[in-house]
Amino acid sequence: MRLLAALGVIGMLLLFVWERVDIVRVGYRVEQLKTQKIALQREQDELRVKVSALAAPDRIARAATEKLGMIPPQPGQVVMVSAADPAPVTSNRSPEVHVAKSERFWRKP
Amino acid sequence: MTGRDSCRGRRIVLAVLLLAGFTVVLGRLVHLQVLQAAELSVRADRQHQKAVTVEGIRGSIYDRRGKVLAMNMEVPSVFGVPASLDNPSGVARDLARVLHVRADEIEKKLRQERNFVWIARKVDPEQGRRLERLSLDGIGTVMEGRRFYPKGALLSHVLGFAGMDGQGLEGIERRYDPYLRGEKRQIVLQRDALGRTVFPKGLTEQGPSAGHSVTLTIDEVIQYIAEKELDDVVSATQARSGVVIVMEPKTGAVLAMAMSPRFDPNAVRGLSADRWRNRVVTDAYEPGSTLKIFLAAAALEEHAMKPDSMINAENGRMTIAGTVIHDHEKAKWLTFAQAIQRSSNVAAAKTAMVLGEERLFRYLRAFGFGEKTEIDLPGEATGLVKEPREWGRRTLASVAMGQEIGVTAVQLAAAVSAVANGGWLMRPYVVSEVRDGRGQLVAHVTPQVRRRPITAETAQTLGTMLESVVTVGTGSKAAVAGYRVAGKTGTSQKIDPDTGAYSSALSVASFAGYVPADDPRMTIIVIVDEPQGEAWGGTVAAPIFRRVAEQSLTYLGISSQEPTKVALMERPGIGPGIGPGIGMVP
Repeated sequence: MRLLAALGVIGMLLLFVWERVDIVRVGYRVEQLKTQKIALQREQDELRVKVSALAAPDRIARAATEKLGMIPPQPGQVVMVSAADPAPVTSNRSPEVHVAKSERFWRKP
Repeated sequence: MTGRDSCRGRRIVLAVLLLAGFTVVLGRLVHLQVLQAAELSVRADRQHQKAVTVEGIRGSIYDRRGKVLAMNMEVPSVFGVPASLDNPSGVARDLARVLHVRADEIEKKLRQERNFVWIARKVDPEQGRRLERLSLDGIGTVMEGRRFYPKGALLSHVLGFAGMDGQGLEGIERRYDPYLRGEKRQIVLQRDALGRTVFPKGLTEQGPSAGHSVTLTIDEVIQYIAEKELDDVVSATQARSGVVIVMEPKTGAVLAMAMSPRFDPNAVRGLSADRWRNRVVTDAYEPGSTLKIFLAAAALEEHAMKPDSMINAENGRMTIAGTVIHDHEKAKWLTFAQAIQRSSNVAAAKTAMVLGEERLFRYLRAFGFGEKTEIDLPGEATGLVKEPREWGRRTLASVAMGQEIGVTAVQLAAAVSAVANGGWLMRPYVVSEVRDGRGQLVAHVTPQVRRRPITAETAQTLGTMLESVVTVGTGSKAAVAGYRVAGKTGTSQKIDPDTGAYSSALSVASFAGYVPADDPRMTIIVIVDEPQGEAWGGTVAAPIFRRVAEQSLTYLGISSQEPTKVALMERPGIGPGIGPGIGMVP
């Protein structure tokens, strides 16, 4: 009986020590993850700054005109369109709409 | 003595010695843990715990569409510990290669008899990584927040800039510093023998909260359009400077506030205040003929004039108080509307005389001249509108022509907007909302009416007169194909600092107007200071108005008078069909 009690006390002590050690171990792991999170956050911020700088309107305009040879539309080349009231369907074919090249997929075949 | 007795004796001695040893240990334990407990506990805390002040990250600034205009980033600052360096000159050479700083300057710092020296603060992250790879003894880095303006000089005068320690010094950065600045908080870190942070307090300790983010009413694309068109003209006319404001007349929200020349807020060191001052709000100028808009508004509101009232323009020449007033175009009889179209100074002086000093002054003040517009930018000037008792014999005529009065560009923008929106003087503003670090709304700015200087009927009548300025008058170069434009040109002579009189060579060319005149969406003010050559408002400023308006209207998707109607079509896999938009004829 005495031996059992002694073993119980030792077991409790070992459990207490294990718990303390594990708390410290988890603490180190938490700190490690925090450091990792901060590093990733910094990387994300750095990338956000780069994306934002690359998306600056003057850079895009320069790339469009100098690299891609684009020019601003001249008077008469821009047509503002607005949606007409839905007309009764009498034909399979809609009036043709001229749109920017990148949006050609909108046009009905 | 028997062998058994001897063994027993040795055991007793051993027991006594052990007891004595344990007693000593116990005694020491009591001494340390009980008697010296308080003092040692403090000493241990000093060694294991480190209190550090951490500053929350400064909030970002966005344009109205959420594009980043200013943000903070943690970057390395490089320091040295001179005492622990064996070869300062070698280390200085290595550092100089990475940091692009002169080696002798770094070596001078490293040879100081100090424990800590800054070598370079807030350097590029890539430079920090290269330094880490070098792992130089006695050289270390700490992370600090640095302000970045990724769009460079775009909107620089409005954004302002923050100082090395993250405090807002100019522009939005200064005005909204209490919101943008992150909260400082002191946290206690528990460190082990290797200097690593150990838990206990770290888990429950809350870090400092980040600063709020600020969203502007400015649209970076319209801002870019305004800056580009202004730069082109300032450069072509070799002007001293220029300003363009684009404002929503119905709300007072500023869509663009462009200035030329600009500065890069990422590199303000060495720049004088003259370069980064926001002239739109800080500088007053004599507006010249653009002020005739408000003279006409007063005359119409007071029924002193009608658009068809006849005025004798005296063949473009009239003497007032010994000074001769000239018109650009000679004419005898003009209707009031024609007088505004042609910007007749003689007719303006006569209209002012009909109105009288008190009434003209009252209307100028009602339109917000001579007082702050209360725009949310620092350093706003009130301009200069003298009380009638201070007016000289010529002042009434001078004020009618936009002389002897000082207005800021933002006052002019707000006042023209009042004409555009049916008579309401709105408070101009550049910040639409403030959100905290978690994205929760902290403050939302709503349009604010200051007063109503004129009725809707007067505004409409005046609008029709201002449209004729563009269709047949001095502002023809401001006309935008497909849209109705209302506005007024202005060309004011500047005072020559040497003679103290109006100079024939120095002038300010301006145009103030709005578009579309039938449903105004943009008020645009253009001011070009000291353009060379043909320096008229109608030839220098009006074309800027047209180009900014053309591109901005297209960008905003504002339909022209007769938009092309198209049938709705199904857009496979995306949505119900195309709505109003922009198409380009191939």
